[in-house]
Amino acid sequence: MTGFASLAPLLFLVIGAVVVLLLGTVRKAAASGLQAFVSLVFLIAAGISAGRLWGRGARAFGGQLLWDEAGLFLALLFLLAAALTVLLGLRFIVYHRMPRGEFYGLLLLAASGLVIMTATPNLLVAFLGLEVFSVSGYALAGLKRGDDRSAEAAVKYFLTGSFASAFFVFGLALIYGGIRTLDVSRLGAALAESGSTPALVFAGLALAVSGLAYKIALVPFHMYQPDVYEGSPTPVSAFFAVAPKAAGFAVLLRLLLPYAGTGEEAKIVFGLLAAVAAATMVLANFAALRQTNLKRILAYSSIAHAGYMLVAVVAEDPAGLLFYLTQYLFPGLGAFAVIIALGGPEREALELDDLTGLGRRSPWLGGIFAVLLASLAGLPPTSGFLAKFYVFSAAVRAGHLGLALVGVATSLVSVYYYFRIIRVMFMKEAVRDTDADVDNPAVYLVLFLCLYAVLQLGLFPGNIVTLIGRTVASF
Amino acid sequence: MHAPLLSLIVFLPLGGALLLVFIPKEERRRLLIAALVFSLAALALSIALAVRFDGNEAGPQFVEDSAWLGYGIRYHLGVDGLSLFLVCLTTFLVPLVLLASRTSVKDRLKEYLLFMLVLETGMIGVFLSLNLFLFYVFWEAALIPMYFLIGMFGGKRRIYATTKFVLYTMAGSLLMLAGIFVLQAAFARASGSYSLNIFDLYRLSLPSGTQAWLFLAFGLAFAIKVPLFPFHTWLPDAHVEAPTGASVLLAAVLLKMGAYGFIRFAFPLFPDAVARFAPVLAVLAIIGIIYGGLMALIQKDIKSLVAYSSVSHMGLIILALAAWNTIGLQGALLQMINHGLSTGMLFFAVGALYERTHSRTITDYGGVARKMPVFSALFLIAVLSSLGLPGLNGFAGEILCFAGIFAAHKVWAILAVTTVILAAAYLLGMYQKVCHGPVVHNRVDALRDLRPAELAIFIPIVFLMFWIGLFPGTFLRKTEATAARYAALIQSRSAAYVEAQRPAILPPEAGGKAATGGERR
Repeated sequence: MTGFASLAPLLFLVIGAVVVLLLGTVRKAAASGLQAFVSLVFLIAAGISAGRLWGRGARAFGGQLLWDEAGLFLALLFLLAAALTVLLGLRFIVYHRMPRGEFYGLLLLAASGLVIMTATPNLLVAFLGLEVFSVSGYALAGLKRGDDRSAEAAVKYFLTGSFASAFFVFGLALIYGGIRTLDVSRLGAALAESGSTPALVFAGLALAVSGLAYKIALVPFHMYQPDVYEGSPTPVSAFFAVAPKAAGFAVLLRLLLPYAGTGEEAKIVFGLLAAVAAATMVLANFAALRQTNLKRILAYSSIAHAGYMLVAVVAEDPAGLLFYLTQYLFPGLGAFAVIIALGGPEREALELDDLTGLGRRSPWLGGIFAVLLASLAGLPPTSGFLAKFYVFSAAVRAGHLGLALVGVATSLVSVYYYFRIIRVMFMKEAVRDTDADVDNPAVYLVLFLCLYAVLQLGLFPGNIVTLIGRTVASF
Repeated sequence: MHAPLLSLIVFLPLGGALLLVFIPKEERRRLLIAALVFSLAALALSIALAVRFDGNEAGPQFVEDSAWLGYGIRYHLGVDGLSLFLVCLTTFLVPLVLLASRTSVKDRLKEYLLFMLVLETGMIGVFLSLNLFLFYVFWEAALIPMYFLIGMFGGKRRIYATTKFVLYTMAGSLLMLAGIFVLQAAFARASGSYSLNIFDLYRLSLPSGTQAWLFLAFGLAFAIKVPLFPFHTWLPDAHVEAPTGASVLLAAVLLKMGAYGFIRFAFPLFPDAVARFAPVLAVLAIIGIIYGGLMALIQKDIKSLVAYSSVSHMGLIILALAAWNTIGLQGALLQMINHGLSTGMLFFAVGALYERTHSRTITDYGGVARKMPVFSALFLIAVLSSLGLPGLNGFAGEILCFAGIFAAHKVWAILAVTTVILAAAYLLGMYQKVCHGPVVHNRVDALRDLRPAELAIFIPIVFLMFWIGLFPGTFLRKTEATAARYAALIQSRSAAYVEAQRPAILPPEAGGKAATGGERR
């Protein structure tokens, strides 16, 4: 395998980012379409080059960059999320007078960071990816320059994110001090050799996991997330809701799977994770009940889903986790797409009341939103149900009945707030007139894709499940 | 290889719903015709199914089984004596409900029809699924359209009622979902392979502690749906607020899903637990019978009166099941259909009145019989059927139920008979106040009798009531083999199950039944 081919996905992303940034400075008057188009082309090129690496086990930099199936699968997921976000931003950034080049450029860079995180066996390289993503992310959150809340989001994200990075890297230092390696593939062997986990490594693991928990937004490291989602430009929130979670979970899984079953300490770590998962599911779902701002509801919803995903980690069910992550991309991102579809020049429909009567005025939009919410709530026959079914049944099989019960019970709570949105759309008469922005075909493309995916993955996910089955073997 | 008849019956309505999406909402006539065509096609197929169904074969027939999602999740449909008539009841009522919507739904007819058709698919699917996963999918899929039907087309407190309905039902079904996980894991542990096929799971022997918990998880879901006292509080709210068509289907079919769940899943899967909990079920059912009847006595609103009568009647069905013998089971099966027909028709009748006067308060009426003689005659038949007059369908089912209960426990039977007395009191009392006496209100003076379209709704139901009442054998014959095998299955798994002899007072044909009617009172 030549060096170039194995670097191609990343190269396309980074070069694309630079090109788009340059376009922003050279042709200020150009339509937003050009930069979006260029970003899409580079994203697709990156996707194709990643696809060509499938099954070859390509590596670069002496194995520091390793394209196993899991990494490639997730990379494709991030590229898809980024491409959908580009489509969401197409009109949005014009309506809100955001700088175009920066939006697309930073988005590509953020995607490249996520790809690096998942495509390496080395935790230090994963940290580099994390930083690339985080720095682009801080800037993306604050991209709505005139808006105070956007600035607040950026600052909050930056401060908490820096803490998280510090935790993570300090944890790595301790782990390295304990077992002289940061290569996850050798981590398990090194620990098994020593018989029990040295205290140093144990502390390191706890810190590293905490750092990741910040990024994934697990309770109690979730506090920043609702504010960040609320303040960030909506397409950015959409991207944040789905992509970094997936990358965080990938690293978590790479870190913990070899560790599972290495002794008493491993049991403690997994027990703690089970507690975190339960706390996340409970707190996030109950907190969402009190929200009236759509973006905040969705933020808490995404925290809650992180809790459900963590159940899969605790149950040591990577296939369930990957399926959950894959399917969550569509309703998670699609829900924000609905908010964007409702906005227009300089205005956004962010409050629950803005949705009143939507089912009557735009039945398609309301209908799609209802299906996406049903998927988030985990109702059959949508993908959300199937994902929860896989994860909870794996949890029960692994002996975590209590966790599955908490998951099921909190799903009931979540039904209340998801259905509250549906209720407002279909069963209340209009309080405010918010018309759907029909002049935004890109967003509708995203919405229909999400609708399709939610139903396809819920009813006939055959190929994806097989693919994930093969992918998991490489973990 | 025959055509996938069951899949067609299940998914024809859904296909109709998809077609409706593409018809403009202003064209009410075309929307209605399209919806009717699809639901009638489903009806025609289900009649064909009932005719071709072999009553002598005990196992599921017309089985379709194909791989789907792994972990034992398969697309597995089949019909047997337990489900056959529930499917027919559903496909029979839905076209009538759609027909009734022509005048009763003024606004957003398209959405109404669409949700009705989706609901039909969900309900039929519940009865035909032989895989627990598939069953759960349909179970929930039937919930969502009902949520919209009540929430979008209901009365003033519709949002409260529909939210309560959905949360109650969902609470139960999510517990059941957890139970499904446990069953799946237990089966995998016992046999090393995955299966959610209920016939495989029947063979699973679980420790009695596990059985108890699982029975509680499944039982709660079904008890809420039935609804069994004290889980019934969502029902009067939902019924009073729901539009006519939704009320009809809620009472006639959705409640049966709960009872069916007990029969198909909770009882044969956890026989030891049933033996333990049967007395509890029985006590709750008896409380429901009496409480529902007493509540119905004091209702001012006709619709909530019928709703509470449902609580009472469904209590009897559950009691007959808790009697835990074959005759009680057969009675419950038949009574499920009967209750569907009689209560469905009562709700249609209330709807017909409400459409004319916009009132459901009993005291707003009086003397309706003078203005609407045909309606009053048909209404009387529904009332009599509901309180179990010999010669009508209600009697055939009730006598079987009582025979089963009596064989199990004489005190239960004595207490349960109050349902008949109470039903006579509240239903006849209501009928008398509404239809007889002098006309005191202007609005009654202006009433017009049933239109042909409404007759087309009432006549078929009345026809079936007489048919079941006079020739219950037609229906019992189709279910007998299944009931016998079911009894054998339960017996092999539970020592407590009693094979009660068919009582001597009950010859297989109905001629003798009418004669014994007097003994019961």
